[in-house]
Amino acid sequence: MKKLIASGAITVNSPQKSSDRKWTFMEKLFLGLTLPQYIGQALRNPFNWIIAIIFAVGIPIILGRFIFGLSWVTHSSNDYPWGLFLAFGLFGMVPLSSSGFLLGTACEVFGRHDLEPIERLGLLNGLLGYFFAVVFLLIDLGQPWRLPFPMVVSFGPAAVLFLVAWHVSTYLSVQIAEVSVSFFEWIGFPIGVRAIRKITLGLTVSGIILSTLHQGALGALFTYAPGKVHPLWYSSSFQWIHFFVSSIPGGLCMVITVSTIASKTMSWRFDQRFKDSLDRVTVSLAKGASMGLATYLTIKLMSIAHDNKWAYLTTGYGQWYLVEIMIGVIIPMTLFAYAIHHKKLPIIRFSALLVVLGIFLNRLNTALITFNWKLSEREIPHWREVAICVTVYTIYIVVYRFILYRLPIFYQWKTQEQYALAYAAKPETTILKDTEPALVFASKTEAKAFRNAETITS
Amino acid sequence: MQTKGIWLAGVLVVLFLAAVPDTSRGITVPDTVILNTQSKLYEPFTFNHAKHIQLTKECSNCHHHTTGTLVQDPNCVRCHRNSSETQEVSCKGCHQTDSFSATAMHEKDPKTYHKDKPSLKAAMHRNCLGCHENMKGPMGCQDCHQRTKEGDAFYYSGAYAPKNKPSKGEHNGH
Amino acid sequence: MKRRDFLKGCLIGGAAASLGAPSKSWAVGSFEGYPDAMGVLVDTTRCIGCRSCEAACNKEQKLPEPDVPFDDTSVFEEKRRTTEKAYTVVNRYETNDGQKPPYRKMQCNHCNEPGCLTSCFVNAYTKTKEGAVIYNGNVCVGCKTCMVACPFNIPAYSYSSAFDPLIKKCIFCYHTRLKFGKPPACVEICPQEALTFGLRSDLIKMGHERIRETPDRYIDHIYGEKEMGGTSWLYLSRVPDDQIGLDTTLGNEPVISNVKDFLGMVPMVLTIWPALFSGIHLLATRNKDHGDEHHNHSEQEDGKK
Repeated sequence: MKKLIASGAITVNSPQKSSDRKWTFMEKLFLGLTLPQYIGQALRNPFNWIIAIIFAVGIPIILGRFIFGLSWVTHSSNDYPWGLFLAFGLFGMVPLSSSGFLLGTACEVFGRHDLEPIERLGLLNGLLGYFFAVVFLLIDLGQPWRLPFPMVVSFGPAAVLFLVAWHVSTYLSVQIAEVSVSFFEWIGFPIGVRAIRKITLGLTVSGIILSTLHQGALGALFTYAPGKVHPLWYSSSFQWIHFFVSSIPGGLCMVITVSTIASKTMSWRFDQRFKDSLDRVTVSLAKGASMGLATYLTIKLMSIAHDNKWAYLTTGYGQWYLVEIMIGVIIPMTLFAYAIHHKKLPIIRFSALLVVLGIFLNRLNTALITFNWKLSEREIPHWREVAICVTVYTIYIVVYRFILYRLPIFYQWKTQEQYALAYAAKPETTILKDTEPALVFASKTEAKAFRNAETITS
Repeated sequence: MQTKGIWLAGVLVVLFLAAVPDTSRGITVPDTVILNTQSKLYEPFTFNHAKHIQLTKECSNCHHHTTGTLVQDPNCVRCHRNSSETQEVSCKGCHQTDSFSATAMHEKDPKTYHKDKPSLKAAMHRNCLGCHENMKGPMGCQDCHQRTKEGDAFYYSGAYAPKNKPSKGEHNGH
Repeated sequence: MKRRDFLKGCLIGGAAASLGAPSKSWAVGSFEGYPDAMGVLVDTTRCIGCRSCEAACNKEQKLPEPDVPFDDTSVFEEKRRTTEKAYTVVNRYETNDGQKPPYRKMQCNHCNEPGCLTSCFVNAYTKTKEGAVIYNGNVCVGCKTCMVACPFNIPAYSYSSAFDPLIKKCIFCYHTRLKFGKPPACVEICPQEALTFGLRSDLIKMGHERIRETPDRYIDHIYGEKEMGGTSWLYLSRVPDDQIGLDTTLGNEPVISNVKDFLGMVPMVLTIWPALFSGIHLLATRNKDHGDEHHNHSEQEDGKK
């Protein structure tokens, strides 16, 4: 893509291709390139080949799960009903998707307009994270075609999962509405944009409510199993607070991580405003994440003190618990403190990745690794289970990339008038110039981004 | 859905047993008793009463109701210290075949100490097996009563044994 | 029932609260079980490990052929659990007191306040007035939360079925027997009457009476009388309960008590959050035009560029 831009291709960032012609839908879809150009750039990207291999293996296995049943793909058993799909896919991805409500709240409710350049990334990250958490859920459910049952057929309103079902589905619609602004701009549907903007505050506030409740509810699900979740990861009174509070640094750090990967792989898509503000915004997000981590650590300690569980810390599980806290909380907190003070952005980005990994580790520990700690048998996921997780996560990355390439997330959509103005003033777009130096790193950085993504998945 | 007594339920106990071996009441002690006549899963069998009398010597080892020596069980003694011998000595005279049927449950008198009275099947099994264990008698089911063909099917045993299938879904039993 | 109703009330109330209605009372009663609930007293001192109950269950519930015959005692070499093919299993436990090893039958304990029931988001479980916890496979989505929520690790799942996987567990022979006042198949076949069927309230008295009459035979505890809020199936044992595989760390509170903290918080978030955050919004943006001011703002910025 960068090569193409360097050779004079224009990126789509407004309805007008040139002063007298609008982009057609197909042109928008192909990023303003011709079909051969588009296919050419896709084939040149080594990451796409890796994706192709993952899909070639993974998609048949996903189909197999629906033909041969769960026992063909998972080691989920009667003692371990929740395997990798839920531990990684649902419990891991939802907290990392809290960015939608966090940035929505910061920008729309708290009036932090300085965070606006990254607000849309936060919203999109939230939407996709939730959507794919639901995809993981659908793969894990015994009868996924009955997913709407708690809404229409049979109600179990005293169940925590009932709340999760309702809140996640409602929240998904809220997020779709929030993200649809970008989509409406892109397809050229200004009425829709205006309509959504009118209800933005309402959507954001309902987003806060729904997020608080279902982030907490996912934690509260584990309070159904007081004897099975290891005491260090369990707290009757604090479980939902643990999950809710940890989702705050989780969501913020996920946005930092995604924007880092994007800046390495698709900086051609950034507009000047985003580029100028990325570092500043990253520091702000890191500050927020540090606060979240500090709160989380305090509550974690409180819950151990509350039930007097100090003795468990000396056991093997206790050491594993400390490892998790070190990786996910204490080390990133220390690094954040240092890096924010000295404006060391690479360190901030690295610690953000640590927090993301820490969240995954925490959820895996709660739901799978230390679950049933009283039983001698530990569950080791089936290789097909891992393959499905990698595949679904890859689909998530592909969809994420597809949207980031096209919708005005990293750049602002220029209205027709603005385009005309810019065109008149500067015939050569600024974007074109800026991307040239990055050209050399094109293939290298993409491979790196993939490695990052792999670390997350594995 | 054989509701009543799948096995041993209709045990025909013809245990007319005299209080003491000298047949003071003029009732003869049966030498053999046919048990388990109505079970579907196990064949009826002949209980060698005479042999058991020889082995145990004391009737009260098996029969309560003050048959033989006076009751020793401290829980029974509280009421039955001086009770005279009872008319009814056969097991089925008191122990019901269907102790959990609705009628049987309603009949239970909450005021007596006999509320926790086992069914005939349980009384006999507990009595026999309890003693056999101490006396090193036979303990297996088929040591006393041979299983019927229907019983084999019920237990998936003998001719009906499961063919050794490779246990697929090996993780299911975790 | 009271508590479940309360929680339902809480949530419905919470939903209503967001529409303006006040949410309801805080009085959490403790549900002691239906007065006419039946139960089974499992006297593990009587069990001889004949596995007849397993065979009877297999036949009554029309379960598939077992892996080994029901008179095969080699199964006692390992600890088994309930599966989709066996709603009840008997295990043998080694004790170190030199006496013969005790056996214990396990199956659904039919809790007074079942964890599976309270965790089910489609209400697939029902606690009947006869005491059985039954399951409706027609609405089950297959989330398997009930399996996580069961403190006794009872519900099994037919993972091998691709198109109709369901929860498989003991239902107290509700549809074929209990409903008609008859004992479950396992109770009826037990040669030793290790299983005593009756009103739960009577069985508790009976259990204590057995302990009182023969104190050498039992430890002074009926497992299930209070555990997890009480269960319809009760256990007597010669050795401490944890030696026959019963979890003695569960406590006497039903599963739902652990979730109460969170469920009680729900209506508050629903009512307080909108006001709180709208207020913060007004405070944070008091110097600017309300409504879509920031968009104007950003658009102005764009205009400047």
